[in-house]
Formats: sequence, structure tokens, C-alpha cells
Amino acid sequence: MEPVISLNSSAIQCTSLSSSAPIWQDVLAQAITGELLAAMNYTSLSEICDDPEEVADALEHAAGERGHAAAFAAEGRKIGVEVSSNVEGMHWKRLREAFMHCIAERDFIGCLIVQEIMLESFAVASYARVAKVGPGSLGKTFARIAAEEEEHVDHAMAILRAERAQDVQRFDEKVHRLHLDVMTTLAKMLAKECKDGHCEVCHGNCVKPSLFEVSLSAAALRGASLEQYLKTLDMLGLPGEVTLAWVAQLPV
Amino acid sequence: MGGAVASVAGRGQTIEQVDFALVGHQESWKAVADVLAVLRGPKHAPLPDDEIKDILPWIPPRAVCHVEVRSVVNAKTGGAKARGLYIDSFIPPDRLEAAYVRENLARVRGAAACAIKAGAKIASLGGFSSILIEGNFDQLPERHNTVFTTGNTLTVGFIVQGVKKMCALEDRNIGRATLLIVGATGDVGSGCARCLAPIVKRVLLSARNLERLRRLAAELEADGVQVEVATDLRQFSVEADIVICAASLASSSLLLGRVAPHAIVCDAGYPKNLSPSAEMPGARIFYGGLGQITGGLSFAPDFHGILNRHPFPDVVHGCLLEGMALALEGRFEPFSQGRGFITQERVEEIVAVATKHGIYLAPLYNADGPVEDKIDCQTEWVEGMSGEAKAPLGAML
Repeated sequence: MEPVISLNSSAIQCTSLSSSAPIWQDVLAQAITGELLAAMNYTSLSEICDDPEEVADALEHAAGERGHAAAFAAEGRKIGVEVSSNVEGMHWKRLREAFMHCIAERDFIGCLIVQEIMLESFAVASYARVAKVGPGSLGKTFARIAAEEEEHVDHAMAILRAERAQDVQRFDEKVHRLHLDVMTTLAKMLAKECKDGHCEVCHGNCVKPSLFEVSLSAAALRGASLEQYLKTLDMLGLPGEVTLAWVAQLPV
Repeated sequence: MGGAVASVAGRGQTIEQVDFALVGHQESWKAVADVLAVLRGPKHAPLPDDEIKDILPWIPPRAVCHVEVRSVVNAKTGGAKARGLYIDSFIPPDRLEAAYVRENLARVRGAAACAIKAGAKIASLGGFSSILIEGNFDQLPERHNTVFTTGNTLTVGFIVQGVKKMCALEDRNIGRATLLIVGATGDVGSGCARCLAPIVKRVLLSARNLERLRRLAAELEADGVQVEVATDLRQFSVEADIVICAASLASSSLLLGRVAPHAIVCDAGYPKNLSPSAEMPGARIFYGGLGQITGGLSFAPDFHGILNRHPFPDVVHGCLLEGMALALEGRFEPFSQGRGFITQERVEEIVAVATKHGIYLAPLYNADGPVEDKIDCQTEWVEGMSGEAKAPLGAML
């Protein structure tokens, strides 16, 4: 696993979180990995944009995601842990591949659907859950970044709604195709137990069974993420009965 | 009347006109599991129970399926039909208690918003949704072109018809009977009181709020009815021959000693939880407030027997049938709203609308099966249903 890049943190504030620090270490590792993957995705996106404004926008987003990763890493140091990341981890690698498939097809809309509708739904919801229970500045950082990610989604919604209005059926079929790939991977990642082996991001054993010690649970993180995803699809205008069936068919 | 494809939104997709929306929820985890199994389809294994309990509370209110109801009017030419949506608020079955009122109201509001967004012309509030909203219509979202009805008037109509039918089947003289209504001050209970008080010998009204009981009693007494009120069933001076439980009883044993040994008991509460028992072996218990569609009912995807888990085909709760009947009639109006406004005239009016479109009182049954001795083809018992399916628990529609 790679340590997180260029961290300009202030003085380390070791707190009295020694017993739960290893749990937060893994929670932060997942968050940092997600942010770095998002940064890579936006950088890739900038390479297929024709409009200079879109290029600038994508690069700005990439920088923002790297900033989030750095902020999470800084929170790790405050509680005395060095947080690693691994974008090559089993699930994250698969998510990156799904995104890169859209890049290869120069499918700007597909990229937005994967990153803004699927991955960001997961990020917004899970960060918001962590923010509720995270101690001190760690909780506040998760809350702040959740709010910023939500703004990204809002920005993309306008573009995606306009795209859907042009051809509803084609758009919905594309969302479904991407859902089958990306959301299946996310569902496996969010399952209560990792059935496919170690995720290659947690620093030791899987963190999920220990989450209750910090008032979190894998089930709640999954539930909140899927709820956010369904609500985002509702806002896009996809029929609720259709998206409900999609989600009901995901692996558990 | 609805049914037409109204508009085209975007290339390749048509948006169906939505005449009605049915807002409900599942009453048991078994019912939830069955709904999710249909949604998952035959290729996917059913979800384990623990996963279902983890997932359900996170599902936002939304449409589950399309519903089409057909009238018997002009049946030879295909019949009139109305199209709608079943919208589930996804209230978890173990959260139907007072402690969750705020959360559940938010879910019903969310489901109502789905009905509005879908452009439903009329929305019926089923089961617990109706109970939550009957005194809180102001808490529904801004309505635009959607009207809401609790459906309580038709529910009362079917309860009253059921009581009369049961009396006839049992050869009882309703004019000599003492009628007890439990939950008498609610919308359904007070509606039943107004309809049946004029034709029975005496009425016993029971509810938790004494002031409201007295107001209802005064209203009935003004028409010459003999009335007793009590907040505790033990306080009544006489036994009842006919009982309508318009509110769920914690246990049927609460009726012991308060009702005649061979009393007719209509379980019209929600959820229905009275069953024939060794404690009251002579009582004739049946489920009230249910109607049967004879023109045709279909779901897409096919939720037959899943959403309407009754032992007879196309049986649906009266509260939801009210919206469907009004949609078939093209009367998109908030027929039942608020609490305490149900009169005999209004009941007769909605029953006439339902009857015109082939929606009749459902065959009488209870947890043990049909209670009618003679069953004609229209009321054929659905053979081969599991014991779970025969029981009313989980019957949403």
C-alpha cells in the first residue's frame, strides 16, 4: 500500500482514541482511497473533454479530491496513525476499470453517472454517517467533505437531467448498464461481510466487524448509501419502481 | 376516465396517465420478504431475513408496481378501467407503534409526494397511513392536482354490510341486538355508529377519550338511540351481541365477559388481530372493511397474492378501493377527509359508486378461513394457498 501523498498537516494532536484508532485508521484508509480514485477519475475525464471550461472544471475537481484525501490523512495523524491507501485494492480497482471503460469510449455522460451518481452517492452518505459519530475534528472533516461532495452531485445533476430529457429510454438503459457493473461492485464492498476475501485496503483484518465499537455498522453504511443512491436517481427522474428493482437485485 | 397514454416524454418512452395511487406498507416481515422476492426476480435467491431487516428501513417511499382495475360497466366492450400505482411507504412492520409516529408520518408524506410527482389524480391512504393522516391532512405535501382520501367511508360501508350479512347468515335479529363499538370515536368507529345505531336496540361506545365519547353519544341520543359510553369495557351494564372492533385490541380476551357467548365480532381494526379462540368458542369472528373487485385487477410486475394477501381473489381493503372506485367513476375528489364526518348518506353514496363498477363486499372470512357456509363461484376460496397466505397478516391491499 502507498502512503498518502504530500501532506501539509499541522502539529500532530494525539488524542485519547488509542483503542479505536485502528478502526478509524481503516475508515480513513477507505475514504482516502476513494478520494484518490476520484482524483484519478477527474484527471482522466479532463483528457476526453473538448470544451476548455469542462477541462478546467474536471481538473479543479481532481485537485479538490486530492485535497480531501490530504485532509483525511491529516485527521489520521491527529489520532496518531499513518493512513495508507490502495487504489489497486480489489473493489476500488474494479470501480476504476468501470470508469476507464467510459473514458475509452469517450463517454462523458457515462463518466458523470459513474462518478457523480454512483460513487458520490456512496461517499456523501457514508461520510455523513461517519460525521455523526466521528470524534472532534475527524467528525467535522467528514461532515465538511460530505457537504462538498454533495455540491459536486448538484452540479452534475443539471447536465444529466438535460441529457436524459433528450432521450429518456437510452439514458435509463445506460444508467442500468453502469449500475450492473459499478453498483454490484459497491454492493459487494458494502456487504456486511467481505465474502470475496480481504479488500486490500484495511491494514489488518477486515474492519467491518469492529465498526460497532465506534457506533457504526456496515449495514447502516450500506443502507445509507443505497438510500442516497435511490434518492439521487429519483432526482434524475428515473421511475422509482424501476430503480427499486435494480437495488433489490444487488448482491448482499 | 383514465387509461389513455397521455403524453410522450423523450424519444422512446411514454408516460402512462396515473388515475389513482394507493399508498400503503407491509404489515409483516413475511410480506416484505415476498415483495422483495418478486422485485429480485427468479434468477436471484431470496434475501435472508436479517438482510431484509437491515435494508428495509433505508428504502425511501416509492412506487412498487402499476395497478389496473376494471369496471363491470360496459364489460362486453372491454369495460372501463383505471390505471394507478401502488406506492409503499416502507414503514418497517415492527415500527407501527406510537414511538415511531413522527418517522412514519415523514414516510407517509414521502409516499404522498411520490403520488403527487406521478401525477395521480386521486390517492387513497391505506392501512396505517390512513390512521396517521386522518387527523393530519395539513401535514401532506402541497397537493397540486392530486386529491387525497383516507378511504374510510367505503371501509365503513363494507363493515356495515358485513355485520348485516353475518346477522342474516346467523339468523340474528339485528333490531334486538346490543352493538358494541371499540374505538368508537375514530373516523371509522363513529361512521359505523351513525350507520348502525338507528337499526339496533342499544349502542355501547368505547374509546380512550371520554369527552369525544360523550359528544358522539349526544349526537346519537338526539336521534332517539339508547347509548352507553365507557373507556373501560368492564363498565358497561349489559353484554353486547354484536361487536365492531374499529381499533386493534391487544387481545381478544379483553372481550371476555363483555360480550354474549355467541356474539358476532367484526375485526375492523388495523392490523387485524382477532382470531377464533378457545376463550370465546361460540363467537362468530370475521374480518370487516374488505371489498372484492369483480371486473378485474392486475399488477405489473405481478404482485397478485403478494400485495393483496387475502384468501379470495381480488379482495382489497375498503380504504384503497374507495380511490379506485372514484377513479373508475371519474370523480377525483377528496371523498373522505378528516375525522368524524362519515354519515349514512355518504356511505350509501360511495357504496353505490363501488357497486356500479362491480366492487362488492368481500366474502366473509377470518384467520381460520371462510365463515360463510355457502360459497358461490364469485367467492371461491383460493385453494392451495399456504397457511401464511390464508392469514390476513401482511395483507396490504
